Amino acid sequence: MRKALLMTMVLVLALGLAACASGGGSGSGQTPSPSSASPGGSQAPSGSSPEPVTLRIAWWGSQPRHDYTLQVIEMYQQANPHVRIEPEYASWDDYWKRLAPQAAAGNLPDILQMDLSYITQYAGNGQLEDLTPYLNREIDVSDVSESALSGGRLGDKLYGFNLGVNALQVHYDPALLQKIGLDKLPDNWTWDTYKELGQKAKDAGLYFETGLRPEVFFAYYLRQHGQRLYSPDGTSLGYDNDQLFVDYFTMTRDMVLMGASPTPDVIAQIKGIEDDLLVKQQAISVWQWSNQYVGLQTAAGRPLEMHPLPGPNVKQGMFLKPSMFFSIAANSRHKEEAAKFINFFINDIEANKLIKGDRGVPVAGKVKDALKPLLPPELQKVFEYIQWAEQNSSPADPPDPIGAAEVMALFKTYDDMMKFEQITPEEAAKRFREEANAILAKNK
Amino acid sequence: MKARQLRNHLAGYAFISPFVIGFLAFTLIPICASLVLSFTDYDLFSPPRWVGLDNFRKLFFQDNKYWKSVRVTLTYVLFAVPLRLVFALLVAMVLNVQVRGVGVYRTLIYLPSIIGGSVAVAIMWRNLFGDQGIINLGLIFLGFDPVRWFGNPTAALWMLILLAVWQFGSSMLIFLAGLKNIPVTYYEAASVDGAGPLRRFFRITLPLLSPVILFNLIMQTISAFITFIPAYIITKGEGGPLDGTLLYSLYLFRQGFVYYHMGEASAMAWILLVVVALLTALLFATSRFWVYYESKGGA
Amino acid sequence: MPGKTLRKSLIYHSCVAVFTVLMLYPVIWLLMSSFKPSNLIFVTADSLVPEPWIWDNYTIGWQGIGGYTFGTFIQNTFVIVALATVGAVLSSAFIAFGFARMQFFGRNFWFAIMMGTLMLPYEVVMVPQYILFSKLGWVNTILPIVVPAWFGQAFFIFLIMQFIRTIPAELDEAAIIDGCGRFRLFPRIILPLTAPALATATIFSFYWRWEDLLGPLLYLNRPKQYTVSLALKMFLDNETISNWGAMFAMSVASLVPVLVLFFLAQKYIVEGISTSGLKA
Repeated sequence: MRKALLMTMVLVLALGLAACASGGGSGSGQTPSPSSASPGGSQAPSGSSPEPVTLRIAWWGSQPRHDYTLQVIEMYQQANPHVRIEPEYASWDDYWKRLAPQAAAGNLPDILQMDLSYITQYAGNGQLEDLTPYLNREIDVSDVSESALSGGRLGDKLYGFNLGVNALQVHYDPALLQKIGLDKLPDNWTWDTYKELGQKAKDAGLYFETGLRPEVFFAYYLRQHGQRLYSPDGTSLGYDNDQLFVDYFTMTRDMVLMGASPTPDVIAQIKGIEDDLLVKQQAISVWQWSNQYVGLQTAAGRPLEMHPLPGPNVKQGMFLKPSMFFSIAANSRHKEEAAKFINFFINDIEANKLIKGDRGVPVAGKVKDALKPLLPPELQKVFEYIQWAEQNSSPADPPDPIGAAEVMALFKTYDDMMKFEQITPEEAAKRFREEANAILAKNK
Repeated sequence: MKARQLRNHLAGYAFISPFVIGFLAFTLIPICASLVLSFTDYDLFSPPRWVGLDNFRKLFFQDNKYWKSVRVTLTYVLFAVPLRLVFALLVAMVLNVQVRGVGVYRTLIYLPSIIGGSVAVAIMWRNLFGDQGIINLGLIFLGFDPVRWFGNPTAALWMLILLAVWQFGSSMLIFLAGLKNIPVTYYEAASVDGAGPLRRFFRITLPLLSPVILFNLIMQTISAFITFIPAYIITKGEGGPLDGTLLYSLYLFRQGFVYYHMGEASAMAWILLVVVALLTALLFATSRFWVYYESKGGA
Repeated sequence: MPGKTLRKSLIYHSCVAVFTVLMLYPVIWLLMSSFKPSNLIFVTADSLVPEPWIWDNYTIGWQGIGGYTFGTFIQNTFVIVALATVGAVLSSAFIAFGFARMQFFGRNFWFAIMMGTLMLPYEVVMVPQYILFSKLGWVNTILPIVVPAWFGQAFFIFLIMQFIRTIPAELDEAAIIDGCGRFRLFPRIILPLTAPALATATIFSFYWRWEDLLGPLLYLNRPKQYTVSLALKMFLDNETISNWGAMFAMSVASLVPVLVLFFLAQKYIVEGISTSGLKA
């Protein structure tokens, strides 16, 4: 008797969970009926403007970003008095920790900021709305290039609207570079140059760089050789030749062993930008994204320069990465209004004067042009670099497949092991392939 | 007789009813849900898919990191709990006096515990153990070699162990309360009979304190097994170097909230629950040999 | 005699004081860092004395986030913590009495369940619980954080139980013989005798909840509802410069209420013994 009761309870439970978790439905882009109450969501059915509407918007970031975003929201509310926007914001890891249960409960905010590393997970499970029907209606994309839009595409659907564009750069301190006898980094430099400069830096008592994140720069390296990190369907690694793995990681490992790049434990102790090795004048360059340039320069308090990555085949390797997206929740009851806000965010010039490219270089051409002259010189440099990159890059990789987080962890483990000399790159290449493929195979 | 017994039973239930109700309302369903989930493949977005014992099989037989996290956690518990309790008891006894200003000492020593789980502390602790941090400076001063706390998996774990020990304040407080409950008259009588401090400690303090010792032992063991925030912040969520600080709960968190393998995370949680429950039951079972209760109402 | 006590007292104080300072070095570091400019905190980590000494971290930090000052956050936290603590301690004491003193069918079963709730890491019931509360419509309120506390908390139940057990049962019987009814036994006799345990539980409940991050993170989405722990987290960000100075400063500021409470409560623990002199 008791057993039957227990079984029934469990069954009811499982069904209940299934019901609310599948609030996203078929994922074919249709609007599913909301399966659970969304508190703080709507008060009236969506429709034409006069009906008062409440939207929830969520983003991650730090103090400066919260401040200006709130101002932009205020601007929008004043222009659209029938809309009330309730902001929810947090730091990066808290944001994702909070979002996941919300998704499970069918309770995502109407507008949510999205990142390449998570978008596949959320979109692939029907949590996000396909934005394609809203293009050229609520969202004016006449001024936005297709390559900028493509970053948010999965298959033929658009799940996230690109808020700004990033590209990879080498940020360096010219004063420190002079200590190894150069005024600026050589144009058309290659990975061999990189190794030479590393040796020179070590001789001068400096690190050449502060560590290259494997998932980013190995992916770039693969692209230079015409390969991709992930296969197009995301079910396995995208490159067959393990020699590429061996070459790249031997090179970075040797830099560490030589003393031109910091060991993993030195990196682990860095608390934030102020503690960065370049800021402390112990390293010549930092390899990262273009939207991190201004922050680094501010922290360093002295002029820095930017430079493209080493060749060969820079154009093949380079790509424009959407720094982040705004997506619309599938469980939102005010999708048109949400889309209108997104439109405002990317197209309105006054709003962007507040945003100042913090979320990446704006994708709308008119906005870029209007904004550039008003910006401080460091930001202008970033804009110009992006313009250069637009001409010198090839189409970006599709968004990371599900399981990418685990693959990244694998990279870190093996990268550290190689740098601590606990494993050879050849052995690491083989084991990495096995384990990564096992992880990605679950996507079949 | 029967009516009286029934009344006793009802009275008992009356008293524990809040717990029962609260449990049934808020905890039972989520716990059952997590149990069911441990047999599914669930990524939070699509409906859970039944996979039977697959999660457990994968954890036990295919996951190196799982066993690493078990080893790391066991090492952690083995050192952190005894060290912490010993310090706590010693300091509690030292502070169990009627000296003026002892309240100040108590508050100050308790301070590390209070700020305990906070982010600021974890960051600060990490800083102390940096290559040029104060700990290494101290080691050099005393003539030892500096330790690469972040580069050596064992050393890194000791960072966490030391953090736990540093925060012995809460156990100390409980011991203090327990010490206070021992009537002074027992000690007085013993002194009169010629017992020295060591004998007083072993014959009076320890036995009368034993329920409290049991409590602290169990609580600290459980809490050591589920330690999460310090490890998360100090290792930036990664459990490095080389998984040296990959505590069980940290790995659980990663499985659930970074890789979205909620099914495996639930499985891990239930394994932990069973292990800790068995350990606790063991502690309780052996307690009848060393714990002394003044009241018969419950051993 | 007086000379000996003075020497003993000196030895005592100096030893304990040195130990305390060593223990507290990290905290002192935290405090001093809150007076340093953010970008210098880690660079000058070895020297305790801030140079320059600034108060900005406190003034700027107090302004908080998104237009809500730390005053608001502290207030929010205080309301939650006070409500939850009162509920937790009272209900736990009540329940502990039942477990410790009463014999009833299924007692061991429920005791085991209670201990079991201690051992499950929160992360795992987190999601199903969130779904449950979401269906109840309790998200964005403090209800999910406060209400469960009123139904007892295993840690405190167990703590108070062990204390009750140190009280001889004969005392109960004596009281009953004197005419004290079963239900009056609890508030009149047992409760005062377990005062140290209650005070301890209050302290714990207070500062654990004060620092609780996960509960507020999940259930309080609007910054104006944020608690101190959430707000502190907001000062940090991986992508741009974290405002360490403000974070440390506000951490220090938010510790003050907890410290005050502790200092008061620990006195009560001490005073609470005078009633247990009854035993003699």
